[in-house]
Amino acid sequence: MKVDIQSLGTFNQLAHEGAQQATASMAQMTGIDAAVDVTKITLVDRADVGEELDDGEYVGVQFDFEGELSGRTALVLDRPCSETLTDALLPGDSAANMAQSGVKEIGNIMMSGFIDGWADYLETTIDHSPPTYIEGVGRDVIPASKGEAGADGRTDQLFVFKSQIEYIEESVEFYIYMLPDYDSLTSLMTTHADTESDAIPIDKLEVFNQMTERGTQKAAENVSMMTGIDTEAEVSQISFARIEDVPKQIENSRYVGTVVEFTGIPSGFLLVLFDEMSAKNVAEAMMPVEMDGDDLTDQHTAAIEELGNIMTSGFVDGWANVLRTSVDHTPPRLIHDMGQAILDPLAAQVGRHQEHAFIVDSRMRTDDVEFEAEIHALPNEQELREALDALMIERAEETDADPDEIFQ
Amino acid sequence: MPEVLIADDSEFMRNLLREILEEDHQIIGEVENGVEAVEAYKDKEPDLVMMDIVMPIRDGIEATDEIKSSNPEANVIMCTSVGQEEKMKEAVKAGADGYITKPFQKPSVMEAIEDVVPS
Repeated sequence: MKVDIQSLGTFNQLAHEGAQQATASMAQMTGIDAAVDVTKITLVDRADVGEELDDGEYVGVQFDFEGELSGRTALVLDRPCSETLTDALLPGDSAANMAQSGVKEIGNIMMSGFIDGWADYLETTIDHSPPTYIEGVGRDVIPASKGEAGADGRTDQLFVFKSQIEYIEESVEFYIYMLPDYDSLTSLMTTHADTESDAIPIDKLEVFNQMTERGTQKAAENVSMMTGIDTEAEVSQISFARIEDVPKQIENSRYVGTVVEFTGIPSGFLLVLFDEMSAKNVAEAMMPVEMDGDDLTDQHTAAIEELGNIMTSGFVDGWANVLRTSVDHTPPRLIHDMGQAILDPLAAQVGRHQEHAFIVDSRMRTDDVEFEAEIHALPNEQELREALDALMIERAEETDADPDEIFQ
Repeated sequence: MPEVLIADDSEFMRNLLREILEEDHQIIGEVENGVEAVEAYKDKEPDLVMMDIVMPIRDGIEATDEIKSSNPEANVIMCTSVGQEEKMKEAVKAGADGYITKPFQKPSVMEAIEDVVPS
């Protein structure tokens, strides 16, 4: 089964326009101006859907939808945000049942606008169920997708359309998740695919995602070995987004890390990023002596540079070994800046040749000390397609190479 | 004591290797790229070169190729974060005598050196 880049772009645009329609409906009802910040399609492990939600309380509504496209969709917002919205809708009425009812009604109108856009594009009818109020902590608020995990021997991955919406003047976000039934979406994608031009086999994209997970695990093992900090790979996913949305893939806070440009099939950029406190903690764990002060010294940055280098290799070596090719990369360049300022020039460079981009995102963390690291890869779209064409699924497990065998 | 040249663009890694090696080896130089590695090798002819692969100006595989072309008896161990089979084959083709992947610990470094330059 294949999907072409143009169709992915179209579906992404549909989700984006649907989210805009939903946001406009909300603004009309409540008088609160908001904007769709970013929309992307993500191929992700079922268990990782909603990983961007923190441990706060969330509420929302969910619907099932059926027709040429079937699945489940949810609007999710944090509780303070929902209170602001319902207060705008029903001023002064703070009764819990009215708050729930308000959220349901806002969700109903917003999500109808979201789904209607898809139906219009597909020139068909998509029915949806009445809204169901949902609430929960963090990602638990997101409903399970309708499909069974691993059915028909399939991998446990699914495509999620996610839109992030921000108030214009406040830093409150809410999300629209669309969890299409796997078969329904892939069948639709296949119908729309121009397989003669730029098609990507979906099964290979899933295998590539699994390779990325193993690359993240390897990078996490390398961190553990160098620092003694027991580190776990947490999330790995491939997203597809408009070039202009690429810089929004990471939080706009300050990061320290490395960037390398890799060449080969595929070429692109790879970032290893730490928040400042994590960078300091991880660098000091690599040093033989204790450091005084809160600032990052040259010794910290030298350690981060080397760690970035080793994590980069851990991440891309698996791709090279499975694809039986070599992926060269430049020496790591140290970066210390705001997230979007780091990604902006890289997206601009990739965007000279393409309108959309695949973004590979991974994250690792530990409970022992304050430590989180992110790895983001921005491969050239056409070359990623070539790499996937050359990928032999039966070699997918062969991510490691043993120098002792080769140097016998 | 065997003389060792360390070629790595990372100051952190040069320091780490020096700490591991200096008890039993004489570090005769530390360089940051492949061009400097070739020059330092020709100048000092150490018993062993610990060579990174990903370095600016000239990478470690090219530098190894040039060192081995000038002296086939030279001993070069690749000491790199790159764990790609094709790169390892390129290193063999360039004449490398051993290959250690970062991150490493002292025993694996000493074992690789013992294989190439027995004490």
